[in-house]
Amino acid sequence: MVGMEHAWVLPALPFGAFVLLMLAGRYLPRRGDLLAVGAMAASAVLFSFVLADLTDALAHGEFQGVFSGTDWLKFDTFHVRLGFYFDRLAAVMLAVVTYVGTLIFVYSMGYMKGDPRYGWFFAAMSLFAASMMTLVLADNLLLLYGAWEAVGFCSYLLIGFWHERRPAAEAAKKAFITTRIGDVGFLIGIVLLWREAGTFNLQEIFRFAQEGGYSTPYLTLAVLLLFAGAVGKSAQFPLHVWLPDAMEGPTPVSALIHAATMVVAGVYMVARTMPLFQEADPVALDVVTSLGLTTVVLSATIALVVRDVKRVIAYSTINSLGLMMVALGAGSVTAAMFYLFVHGFFKALLFLAAGNVLHATDRQTVDDLGGLARKMPLTAVAFGVGALAMAGLFPFAGFWAKDEILVAAREYHNQVAVAVLWVSVALAALYMGRLYTLVFTGQPRDRHVWEHAHEGPPIMVGPVLLLTLGAVVTGFLAFDQVGEALGLGGGIGQFVYLEEPHTFHMPWGEAIGSTLLVVASLGAAWAIWGGKGELAVQLGKRLQPLYLLLWNKYYMDDLYQWIVNRIVLAGGAVVAWFDRVVVNDTGVDGSAGLTALGGWLMRQLQTGKLPNYALAIATGAAVIGAVVLVSRM
Amino acid sequence: MLSLLVFLPLAGTALVAVLPRRWEGRARWIALGASLGCLGIALALFAAYDRGGPQFQFVDRHVWLSSDVAPFSVQYALGVDGLSLPLLVLTAFLTVVAVLISWEIGPRPKEYFAWLLVLESSLLGVFSSLDLVLFFLFFELELLPMYFLISIWGTGRRIYSAWKYVFFTFFGSAFMLVGILALGLEAGTFDIRALQEMGPIRQAVLPAPAIFAFLIIGFGIKLPVVPLHTWLPDAHTDAPTAVSVMLAGVLLKMGGYGILRLCISLLPEVARDASLWLGAFAGATILYGALATLMQRDLKRLIAYSSVSHMGYVLLGASALGTVGLVGASMQMFTHGLITGLLFVMVGLVYERTHTRDIGELGGLAARLPYLTVVMVFAGLASLGLPSLAGFVSEATVFLGTFPRHQALAVMGVLGVLLAAAYILWMVQRVFWGEAAPRWQSLQEKVAWWERVPTLALMTVILLVGVYPSPLMDLFEGGIIPIVERLT
Repeated sequence: MVGMEHAWVLPALPFGAFVLLMLAGRYLPRRGDLLAVGAMAASAVLFSFVLADLTDALAHGEFQGVFSGTDWLKFDTFHVRLGFYFDRLAAVMLAVVTYVGTLIFVYSMGYMKGDPRYGWFFAAMSLFAASMMTLVLADNLLLLYGAWEAVGFCSYLLIGFWHERRPAAEAAKKAFITTRIGDVGFLIGIVLLWREAGTFNLQEIFRFAQEGGYSTPYLTLAVLLLFAGAVGKSAQFPLHVWLPDAMEGPTPVSALIHAATMVVAGVYMVARTMPLFQEADPVALDVVTSLGLTTVVLSATIALVVRDVKRVIAYSTINSLGLMMVALGAGSVTAAMFYLFVHGFFKALLFLAAGNVLHATDRQTVDDLGGLARKMPLTAVAFGVGALAMAGLFPFAGFWAKDEILVAAREYHNQVAVAVLWVSVALAALYMGRLYTLVFTGQPRDRHVWEHAHEGPPIMVGPVLLLTLGAVVTGFLAFDQVGEALGLGGGIGQFVYLEEPHTFHMPWGEAIGSTLLVVASLGAAWAIWGGKGELAVQLGKRLQPLYLLLWNKYYMDDLYQWIVNRIVLAGGAVVAWFDRVVVNDTGVDGSAGLTALGGWLMRQLQTGKLPNYALAIATGAAVIGAVVLVSRM
Repeated sequence: MLSLLVFLPLAGTALVAVLPRRWEGRARWIALGASLGCLGIALALFAAYDRGGPQFQFVDRHVWLSSDVAPFSVQYALGVDGLSLPLLVLTAFLTVVAVLISWEIGPRPKEYFAWLLVLESSLLGVFSSLDLVLFFLFFELELLPMYFLISIWGTGRRIYSAWKYVFFTFFGSAFMLVGILALGLEAGTFDIRALQEMGPIRQAVLPAPAIFAFLIIGFGIKLPVVPLHTWLPDAHTDAPTAVSVMLAGVLLKMGGYGILRLCISLLPEVARDASLWLGAFAGATILYGALATLMQRDLKRLIAYSSVSHMGYVLLGASALGTVGLVGASMQMFTHGLITGLLFVMVGLVYERTHTRDIGELGGLAARLPYLTVVMVFAGLASLGLPSLAGFVSEATVFLGTFPRHQALAVMGVLGVLLAAAYILWMVQRVFWGEAAPRWQSLQEKVAWWERVPTLALMTVILLVGVYPSPLMDLFEGGIIPIVERLT
């Protein structure tokens, strides 16, 4: 029987596919894509068994979490045991990675067809999925960090997949380096935690913290540094700038990065280490909340003016990630993970549906699109469902999860957060409504493109439809009845929680309020951008300074570019110049020159000519004589 | 056994030297045979070393010079411990790589391979000497082959670079010799083991801090430590590929080895006082080297400067004076040898195909040189400390070891890793990604077996050490613990 102790096989499957594809990919039929997809699907199936085992254990009420592991390093006080830890938090995350991941893999077979590096694509995607599963299952910070970096590296490979294109290569580098800025903090945070506790094992560190092993300021600093890693990975302000650029990668990559791997890793990591945040000074969670809120406002407003379809979705992801962080800041692991779970489905849906549009039209700015609902009805419906789920309309998945976050913020008594979240709800509906209106309704802006548009092949439409289903039904996991029917022993609140399970109660205030707000926003979006979009043009003129501010993304990219050019590279130039001119040419060659000069001067004395020596002896004698005479006097 | 290891390359040299002119082409086979023999012996020692046994094993000891008048004697003594054994393996391994990578070296292959083998002998001698005088002799012997290898088979300003290298090393050696003589005369022996057992030396002909400073200057030039590093970019850049590999891969480690074996081990009290200074120089070396790397336009010079930055971690780990830091430092020597060795090999292979190292002229090579791209990116990732590759293990261990003692400096070290990501990825982007310029369109990638074998071997070892470093770390630890015991 396959049980939880076999959880380590989950990442091993796609990893094995990666190795096989790298070694023998070119000899396999179809460059081995079926192997990669098969391995991913096998992971999903295996996960279902593991989950069944988990629910079985839950039913007997004996479940704590399952370890498996091996010694990696052992010397002196430095003892590292690497292992996997499977619990309910990991289960939620793995559900997203394996199920959504499999659908994305299948879709890729259609989307990437004919690419010259088709096999390499599936190899890299497999490694990506394997790294993410390892990250989820890691029972200690060192393995977590290793997988974390591996995820970053895979995203580098895949964002830069079409590396002949300069923007793609730039975006890949930007993603890696920006997230690595956060990772510097993450690594130092890990070192801080290890230094006092003497272990990297998460459960042991939690125990150590709960026993008061860390002083509060020390622990606060450490968790804030951990959070720095999450800020980079999960594209939170001020390190969010890499995510929109990452749209240069192929669309399935965007779907995988946004829904299942990479960006949600930061949220997962904070959720995983939440016991430490709880022990630390409240200021730590306040920082999480405030950065989350800043991110929400920033991304939701920028999304209103972006004209690239994929980038709008990217900003919507940043918006969602901000919401998850706010939930975590309010201490609600349940709300954050619930949102993460349903977000995986509807965000993958949005990207893959957008991918269908790109595939059919070869265009990705709204200026060339429009009226596509008539040409691509299935995709239009699917994208619409995804957009409504993102906007949070009843009864789509986003509605339930978003309301959980609203409740969490209210119960945390954070008035600012509550206010900002309500604004965010309105903005999300507004920009998602705008995007749908511009792409699928109205008159085509480019007739030629429109006429050639068509629905994609079944292999691309199928996964989109399944995800559509997911974007509708996953939200019902909030209900205990649904969870019990699935054997989870209750709704999501009974399944993933930090301190005590909580039962879902319909928050009527939030539900009705947010529904009205979303409907109003969607109506506004239709009014502004629908038809010929005259109102949008007028608004743009009327509010030009605001429009420019948003269009330039609050000038943050420019600021960072300035810092890189004027501070880092200029610093490098100064050092390089100093090294050559001052240290080497002046210091080293200069002293060598001085020595040579000294040698040359001395050589003048030794001419080898007798008269010169005679003269020198005579002069010397005369001088000595003179000195003697003078001193006698 | 050890003597056989140390002198096998010299035997190879002798054989190459008597080779008739018309068989000149066969010199490389002799060199390959000798270096493979050394690798075999080194690996056998690695396997046979008893990790629970005495510190120094396989000892070969004979009195060499002694007189009734002088209060000391000089011995021929070889032996290895956990610190030196991995470095012997590294030396033997990289020499094989160096021989293969110079398979089609230009003029006068006979002399070339003869000098390369002399170089190997001297390096193996340095790491296995148990007598300070012998150590010094081997330390100096290395100059001779290096001078000829750079000045005859080099490129660019090779004569200048070769002289610069020799002068710098001589300058350092002068100080080092004073330090060694002061130690030996005071103790009445040059035997490293005897010196270790004597307990700390406080007052000799010279005060202990002065001896320490002299030794540090000598080894600091080799390591190198900013500001004593300027010989390195020139020598690396102008040396032929295989010599750059040896230089970065092994010769720099003589500095790190000396610091661990002599400075810290024999003068622990001074080392404790100087800890912060060592760390400060290490931090400066890391950041200064990384910033300078960022702005290099010559591919080889870029790798050379990155080497300066990475060797800073060796000193940083050493400055922490604890088991973890010292193991990290010695691990860093080993992994840096592999990774930078591979990077230099790759630069050489790219240069052979493009005939330029100017990053501005290169670009879009990924389409034309897929295999070289994969290997270069692999080496780059190892260099920027990607977990699961060797560089991460050593650098992370250095941070962990340094943090408790010098927090700010450890943070500087972590920042160095960030800069490493920047300069490596920027380099990769400018050289390999993007559209290939027209002049590279006709580039053909034919990878000969003597190029493929060493690159694959290096990649395998980098991955193995990164995934499962324990066997190596255990061994280093065995060499480090006696040093740490003297520190406390």
